[in-house]
Amino acid sequence: MAIVVLSPGILTSVQDGGRLGYQQYGVSPSGPMDAHAFRTANILVGNDPDEAGLEMTVMGAELTFTDAAVVAITGADMGATLNGTRTDMYRALCIQAGDVLKLGFAMSGCRSYLAVRGGIGTDPVMGSRATMLGKNFGGYKGRKLQKDDVLEIRPCSNKFTHPETYFTDPETVPAGVRTLRVVMGPQEDRFTEQGIRTFLSSEYTVGQDFDRQGYRLEGEKIEHKTDSNIISDGVVTGSIQVPGTGLPIVMTAERATVGGYTKIATVITADLPLIGQCKAGDRIRFQEVSVETAQDLLKQEADRLEELRKLVEDPSHLPEEKTPAFEEAAPVPEHEFEYTKDVTISINGKAYEVTIQKWK
Amino acid sequence: MSEAVIRPAGDSALLVEFENEISLEVNSRVRALKYTLEQSPFEGMGELVPAYRSLLIGYDPLRIRMKAAQEEIRSRLGHMDKVSLPKAVVTEIPVCYDKEYAVDLEHIAQLEHTTEEEVIRIHSQSDYFVYMLGFAPGHPYTARFENPFSFKRMENPRLKIPGGSIVVQLALSDIIPFDQPCGWNIIGSTPVLACDYRKENPFLLKAGQWIHHRPVSKEEYLDIKKQVEAGTYVCRTWEKED
Repeated sequence: MAIVVLSPGILTSVQDGGRLGYQQYGVSPSGPMDAHAFRTANILVGNDPDEAGLEMTVMGAELTFTDAAVVAITGADMGATLNGTRTDMYRALCIQAGDVLKLGFAMSGCRSYLAVRGGIGTDPVMGSRATMLGKNFGGYKGRKLQKDDVLEIRPCSNKFTHPETYFTDPETVPAGVRTLRVVMGPQEDRFTEQGIRTFLSSEYTVGQDFDRQGYRLEGEKIEHKTDSNIISDGVVTGSIQVPGTGLPIVMTAERATVGGYTKIATVITADLPLIGQCKAGDRIRFQEVSVETAQDLLKQEADRLEELRKLVEDPSHLPEEKTPAFEEAAPVPEHEFEYTKDVTISINGKAYEVTIQKWK
Repeated sequence: MSEAVIRPAGDSALLVEFENEISLEVNSRVRALKYTLEQSPFEGMGELVPAYRSLLIGYDPLRIRMKAAQEEIRSRLGHMDKVSLPKAVVTEIPVCYDKEYAVDLEHIAQLEHTTEEEVIRIHSQSDYFVYMLGFAPGHPYTARFENPFSFKRMENPRLKIPGGSIVVQLALSDIIPFDQPCGWNIIGSTPVLACDYRKENPFLLKAGQWIHHRPVSKEEYLDIKKQVEAGTYVCRTWEKED
């Protein structure tokens, strides 16, 4: 069982829940930039939430399958098609041998995820299949995917009966200004009051320099009391460094493990997926919350995923599949319309015959 | 000794800061706290990231909330003076100072107004303390405590230097694990790998230990390199004398 890459898109890599336990040796966790979408995809195909899947960036991949498989697509909407027909996101899709799944440009957001039942079976490095693109290890040969790469799919034994019934409401990546909630510190005392005010009240724009290591933001300069240097200390995913330029850098999955710049605040874990879906030109605001609030929000996120996992493991809990409430329209004499057209549209995988008529 | 400060670093980590200086004394407190936590971890504790004067302590907020984690850390800080750290290890790093690898050796000798032999002697006679690892996987930040050089980094960093390079400034000396840009002078090269992904534990070194550079000829360098490639070379180690 394997996935064959027909076209890799701009930047597609194998990711799992991340490489934990090696930060003291200088190895950052890596893993998905939008952990929420990533885990949702895995749950929908009956996997462990942190199983290895694909992360696609800005423009997705074209893939084919050597055998039947079950996949799910989440995150940014890249207009996925299956054998040329538009297909749904946020649901388990049954793939037949030879089927072609194609993702295009992200219409909103930045990153899409593809989970495959069983997970992708590259050799783990330090216990993880996450690709560390910046350091060329992990995942598939330590690099982004290329045409003709063959990704093995691992066999899966847990029970999974009616994949076509596993779905959740599609989530859309928010448009407009994203508000990232932050916990202040650890070095907020190295900034002036004005500097803190600037940080919390102005709008920042994602610059051209954004990747899995970090997001450089453009906007109003944040004022330091003296300078931006500290004796290097540990960095976390979400740390917001402010170097001498006064412009913030949000540290993401492939960040350094230690750094020598002042960190004004840290993006809360529950909001990290928001930054992972930002691309150049997107606007960001920061809002301060307490650690307690941040931890409550993280708990809510964990509960949401757990709910979804329960539904998938026991489909009897699933609500009846929603059918759009279309009422049959009373026939209207044709001469009152400019034109009439019959089309077939697909909603949640079901085909509906629809008649479009334009008033005169 | 001032009291340690515990600060939140987001919702899943706490940063414990000791005195704001780079010294063995301050770093020994970082090591003592790390050792104490490793010996008796608290419920929900995650990764520990030691640095010069601080320890970053990760935790899982779904298993322990911040206030409780702070209490756990405070209680261990209170017992730290009773901790006796195990003896530190010294790892021997073979270094070839042959001109082919030590591309800046002549320049360093000029900067120090001395001979190349004397530069090699200064670099290879001291033990170096590994304060922390970072920047790249397995990259050690090390320093000696005598005979610092007088020069700092170069004005124009090189865009790429080879993995294995030993680079220096002042009393600092780093092993570069992989090809990377670098603004420090290259004093030699080691055939051993600071990070070898083929191994179950890929890392040669650990924060809190020491290293010692042993000068080797080009012949020995090439011989060790072969053994490293075959996965058979093991660096000599010994216990650090107090």
